Amino acid sequence: MSGFLAIARREFAGLFLGPLAWTLLTIALLLQGWLFVLYLKTSGGDVDISLRLALGESWAFWALMILVPPLITMRMISEESRSGLLEFLLTAPVSDAAVVAGKFVAVLAFMAILCGTSLVYGVAVASLGVAPDWGALIGGWIGAVLCSGLFAAVGLFASALTSTPVVAAFAAVVANLALVTAPLLGGLSDQLFVRRAVARIDVLDHHKSAFLAGVLDTSYFVFFVAWTIVFLFLAVRAVEARRWR
Amino acid sequence: MISVSHLTRTFGSLRALDDVSFEVSKGEVVGFLGPNGAGKTTAMRILTGYLPASSGSVRVAGFDVLTQSIEVRRRIGYLPESVPLYREHRVVEMLEFQARLHAIPRKERASRIEAALEQVGLTDRQRDLVGNLSRGLRQRAGLAVALLPRPEVLILDEPTSGLDPMQRLEVRGLIQGLSAQHTVLLSSHILPEIEAVCRRVIIVDKGRIRADGTPDELVTRLAGASHVRVEAMVGHDVEAALRILRSIRGVSAVNDRGRLGIHHQFELTCDEDLREDVGAIAAARGWALRELSWRRPTLEQIFARIASGASDEDVKPSAANPRSVGVTPMPSLDAPVQISIGGTVPVGGPKSAPSTAVGAGPAPARVVYNLNPFDRGASRSLSRPKAVEDPDRDTPGAPSA
Repeated sequence: MSGFLAIARREFAGLFLGPLAWTLLTIALLLQGWLFVLYLKTSGGDVDISLRLALGESWAFWALMILVPPLITMRMISEESRSGLLEFLLTAPVSDAAVVAGKFVAVLAFMAILCGTSLVYGVAVASLGVAPDWGALIGGWIGAVLCSGLFAAVGLFASALTSTPVVAAFAAVVANLALVTAPLLGGLSDQLFVRRAVARIDVLDHHKSAFLAGVLDTSYFVFFVAWTIVFLFLAVRAVEARRWR
Repeated sequence: MISVSHLTRTFGSLRALDDVSFEVSKGEVVGFLGPNGAGKTTAMRILTGYLPASSGSVRVAGFDVLTQSIEVRRRIGYLPESVPLYREHRVVEMLEFQARLHAIPRKERASRIEAALEQVGLTDRQRDLVGNLSRGLRQRAGLAVALLPRPEVLILDEPTSGLDPMQRLEVRGLIQGLSAQHTVLLSSHILPEIEAVCRRVIIVDKGRIRADGTPDELVTRLAGASHVRVEAMVGHDVEAALRILRSIRGVSAVNDRGRLGIHHQFELTCDEDLREDVGAIAAARGWALRELSWRRPTLEQIFARIASGASDEDVKPSAANPRSVGVTPMPSLDAPVQISIGGTVPVGGPKSAPSTAVGAGPAPARVVYNLNPFDRGASRSLSRPKAVEDPDRDTPGAPSA
């Protein structure tokens, strides 16, 4: 347990010791801030609609969700395997699962900060006299963090499969894109079972229909956690498989 | 402390380790010696639990590496060849991370980190970023990280690779200091490294253990015959001299290596150092001795033989370890007699190799005997034996071509 915390802590600190995390944060904040102002203007000053857009209804939100976690996770395993640091971690008295979980928690914390900027907008508009729907806002934030957790798990899995960070990032972005667009494509099908199957992995719908509405439904919660665990499990297996190669 | 039995590891069709068995007891310092690709790193990775073995079992400190991996890892300090450290962290942060990984109690952390830094002499560089450290300092930082949990077993993979000679000496000294508290297993393909530090050497090649023992044992066991080389003025009756030399007890063969100027050179094959006997005979017969030396194959040559898989012939004693006695002329007086350096370098030839440029004088220099190149007076010309003539030499030590 202490090993897992140590790794999570180091990974999180390590993120902010490099330029990538800062760059991504800056870009995300600029984009989100600019769009939030735009949403406010176009919606005629409707704070709730603007916050919904910022936390899940807009293309920009999903673009960030698809792109940022893979960029953060791409180096975490692939580069360490190349530099030998993975050898160091895997010969330290911590399990492979703790290594992967530690890295995952670090990304999750980073994404929580990134998504948390929307909360700042809520505070800002509240201080100006218009209180937002706090339940929906916080629910949306939790949903966004869970979404990014799923995408980060996919990213870690991709990173564990290859020794080239760029390849890992590309593969993860493609996989995330597939995850997000699958429901759209599935909707085109006439077959009922295809629609049903696709609905089981519909990230967009699970986020929008529960969390963004301010509802913390455990089944929706489990949806994200379960898929995240599946990909983390695959990542742990991929790390283990490295020992055999 | 370490017990390896019938360890085999394959990568696809490649057998990196093939039925390797050895034991290391507590407090031993063992050197893993082998050419690149011999399987040293693979063996170490299996010992540390990084790689699983294809078959065979490994126990470290009584724990099985495969089934009780975490227990083993707690007891092992491992420094891989690449010295993996987070470049973006400071040295002390790296040590803190290691302390947390090994669950060193918070109260002890600071003092343990300080002690580890002191041990490797990095106390004044602890705030430096790891990425800014030189290779030698990084090696030391890596060693500090490996030492921090006070492991019972220390496994160091090529701890001196990529270091300059001074850093190498430093690291070597560090490792020697560690042998008191830890069981140390280190690998290297550099033999003097191992000879200097380890009391026991395991030579591996192509995944198999070829030899195991102390350096002296290995030399005695594997070296075979040693040779006494005699160079003396024996007069014209060479046959008589040969007969006399053959009659010495313990000499199994005498090789007549021919005449060198006025001297004659013989090589006696024998099991022990017979220099005194030969010297006594030379004195009795009135031979003017020029060289009397005893050579036995060094560990290096044995290693080379094992590594190349060659026959015994290759372990012939060479001048790598000359222990000359007798009437060798002082080299400083008639020193570099030959091989004129001022000669013309062939057009387009490499300027960095002037020693190969033979003087363009009337009598081209011929290397007669080739001692250790670092010895003074490495070679002489046959065309001008020193004792007979040399009137036109201007300055001592400055050869005329």
